[in-house]
Amino acid sequence: MEPFARSPAGAPGPRARGDEFVVALEAVSRGIRDPVAKLKYIRGSLDRYRSLDRAVRFIPGKALRRHVYRWLSLESLGPLLRADPFGGAPPVDPRTRRSRFVTRVSMVSTAAAGIAAVAFATWSLPRPTPVVKAAAPALALALPPVVETPVSLPVGITPAAVWLVEKGEGWEQYSNGLRIDTSHAVAGDPRRFQVFDEAGALDPEVHDQPVGILFHTSESDIWPLEASFNETLRDSSQRLLRYLQRNRTYHYLVDRFGRVFRVVNEESKANHAGYSVWAKPGRVYLSLNNAFLGVAFESRWEGGQALPITQAQLAAGRNVTEYLRQRYDIEADMCVAHGLASVNPKKHLIGHHMDWSRGFPWAAFGLPDQYKREAPSVALFGFGYDDDFLKVLGEPWQGVRDGEQRLASEAQRRGVAVDEVRQERQGLYDRSIRAQAAAEKSAVASVADQRPVNRPRTSASGG
Amino acid sequence: MAEERKDHLWKVAQEAEERIDDLMKTGASPMGLDVGTAKIVASRRKAKDIECAAQLNAFIPVPYSKFTETILGQNDIAYYREGGELVIYGTDTERFANMFNAEARRPMADGLLNPRETRAMPVLEAILTNLVPKPKVQGEILAFSVPAALPGREAALTYHEATLRGFFQGQGYKPVAINEGLSVIFSELEDNNFTGIGISCGGGMCNVTLAFLSIPSIMIGIGKGGDYIDSAVGAVVNEHATRVRIQKEEGIDLSRQPKDKFERAIRIYYEELVESLVDGLAKALSTAETLPRTDRPLPIVLSGGTAKPKGFKDLFEKALKGRALPIEVAEIRLAKDPLTATARGALIAAMYEK
Repeated sequence: MEPFARSPAGAPGPRARGDEFVVALEAVSRGIRDPVAKLKYIRGSLDRYRSLDRAVRFIPGKALRRHVYRWLSLESLGPLLRADPFGGAPPVDPRTRRSRFVTRVSMVSTAAAGIAAVAFATWSLPRPTPVVKAAAPALALALPPVVETPVSLPVGITPAAVWLVEKGEGWEQYSNGLRIDTSHAVAGDPRRFQVFDEAGALDPEVHDQPVGILFHTSESDIWPLEASFNETLRDSSQRLLRYLQRNRTYHYLVDRFGRVFRVVNEESKANHAGYSVWAKPGRVYLSLNNAFLGVAFESRWEGGQALPITQAQLAAGRNVTEYLRQRYDIEADMCVAHGLASVNPKKHLIGHHMDWSRGFPWAAFGLPDQYKREAPSVALFGFGYDDDFLKVLGEPWQGVRDGEQRLASEAQRRGVAVDEVRQERQGLYDRSIRAQAAAEKSAVASVADQRPVNRPRTSASGG
Repeated sequence: MAEERKDHLWKVAQEAEERIDDLMKTGASPMGLDVGTAKIVASRRKAKDIECAAQLNAFIPVPYSKFTETILGQNDIAYYREGGELVIYGTDTERFANMFNAEARRPMADGLLNPRETRAMPVLEAILTNLVPKPKVQGEILAFSVPAALPGREAALTYHEATLRGFFQGQGYKPVAINEGLSVIFSELEDNNFTGIGISCGGGMCNVTLAFLSIPSIMIGIGKGGDYIDSAVGAVVNEHATRVRIQKEEGIDLSRQPKDKFERAIRIYYEELVESLVDGLAKALSTAETLPRTDRPLPIVLSGGTAKPKGFKDLFEKALKGRALPIEVAEIRLAKDPLTATARGALIAAMYEK
């Protein structure tokens, strides 16, 4: 960062960074309404200039270069286009947002035209023209190495043995290639949970081993996966990790470079699931923070889908899933996306959080397609969805339809309205969640009662 | 439900709503501080607004007596006891200086810690402690203003900055120093993408900074400020500088003809200060090695208590007229709130650093 208190002697001024770049930067900055966001954007762009310029300066023609600079400047606005965490409006004005969209479309068209030109040149001439050669760096920037069609693994097979090969300070290496960075791991509250049956009876047995995995998106800043953004990508992951660690949010984070970080120790619960429902025959799990392990991919749910994860994330995510399933004997049906389990308990609606409500690469993880699995929140507890849900997803996943079908069948069999069945089921949920809260409260009280008060010190030998 | 599904910067699980408060606690409390010779102004974000608080950077010692101490305590006046004296500091100083017909003393002079004042640091610490609460979270960012170095005073600036930095660190903050003129640019020239000239006319000195896209290329200090006017006028009209300052702040109008000797003296010394300021600016622009090549006119923003009187901007415009400058000036305007512009700019720097 440039200094605030001293003149940067000898440092190149913004103008030294090139007129075309500065013109694009100034034009885009005018669309940012918040002074801090604008300052961050301007200074961040100036810092990135050198690496950007390495790619862009080879583009022939001032007009095209200017266009690319504008496009890159608009793309850097990405993190500013969302509402702030407290609900404030995004600091970028709508015109600039529109301009970003138009420029993106125009760049894609230019890239397509470039590809067509290459194809034509390859077909019609023995060697490509110099213009086509020079356009290559811009095309490379436009196509990040994200997962498009992941390779499928056989479904439903318990992974082969995965064992700890060796460990050092801050890392663990496993036999399937998984390497876990443990330097950020923290302990949380110990895991303990009870299980319901489908009629709402709470089994008194208390469990402390996880029975499932919940996949999340981190909902964090997602920067272009390009070498020029390397520092920003790294910093962004580190800031995210610190936040997750402070709040004990997930057990694992898979960052965009495919690094797997343990955030909360596996023996502890993490605050990843909120109100949520999942089930298997005869066993119903509510509020899954305790029963499920949380694995987050550094990605964001945007425009009704998760932004594509990287090939490195896919491979690492698969490895960590294999390791957890093997270690805790987790069934394939109990590996699910947060969006499929998350509920709003007050309104009895599904999709409170929506991460991976669509597009999770189940097959690539060797898992069954959970979108086709009957949604327990709908089938067992009569949860529904509203217009906002449909606005985001267009239509619910098949498992929701199957759950609704089950409610309808039951209503028909009993000769009552579907709404009546729904209300009964929602009542069952309300009673179950209250019973769970009461059980947790009494467990906490009994732990507190057992806590030693002024216990006399004992010697090391126990005598 | 629509609100509940809003995109979050980082996802917050439903069962842990209190973590949003934590995030706000840790995230929304950076502080901006204008440590000026005459006043110290603190600014902090409160919801969507910015709130500012100010204290006079002055003190006056009075002899200790049990009775005086009781009176000070009953009237909620900031003071501390040192040996046989009670040191009254901050905004209340003015009242007592008037009452005792004495000169208020200053912990700072010419924008820096006053080397001739033995009580400089204890008093400054007392004022800052009063104005700046302990951070809720260790390592919270605090950006404080520092002036540009006057020729030959570079070492004193280093000492001043390091002393303040050490104090704020001791309070639990992570301090960041920001040039006064750049602070003005941050708070006032957002619409110009932080490009232009920011001038802060304070009590001890004036600071001028030229920045292009937030990067400063010229930072200069002019060793005259409001205090210079006060003491020069005081010497002419035989008044304490403190009284001159009070009268001056009650509402001097530099745009009309002076009515009496006092106003004439004020006008003369204001004109002299503005001449020095414009001279300094013109010289810095014509000799700058890193002046940005810019094809558009640059705005100038004036701020600080000394720039506040009506007619100051006109004086400045008049003085600038006819000068051959290597840049074109787009407009000259007064900051929206000249007294808090530096502190608000420092707050922007603090939030940027977060």
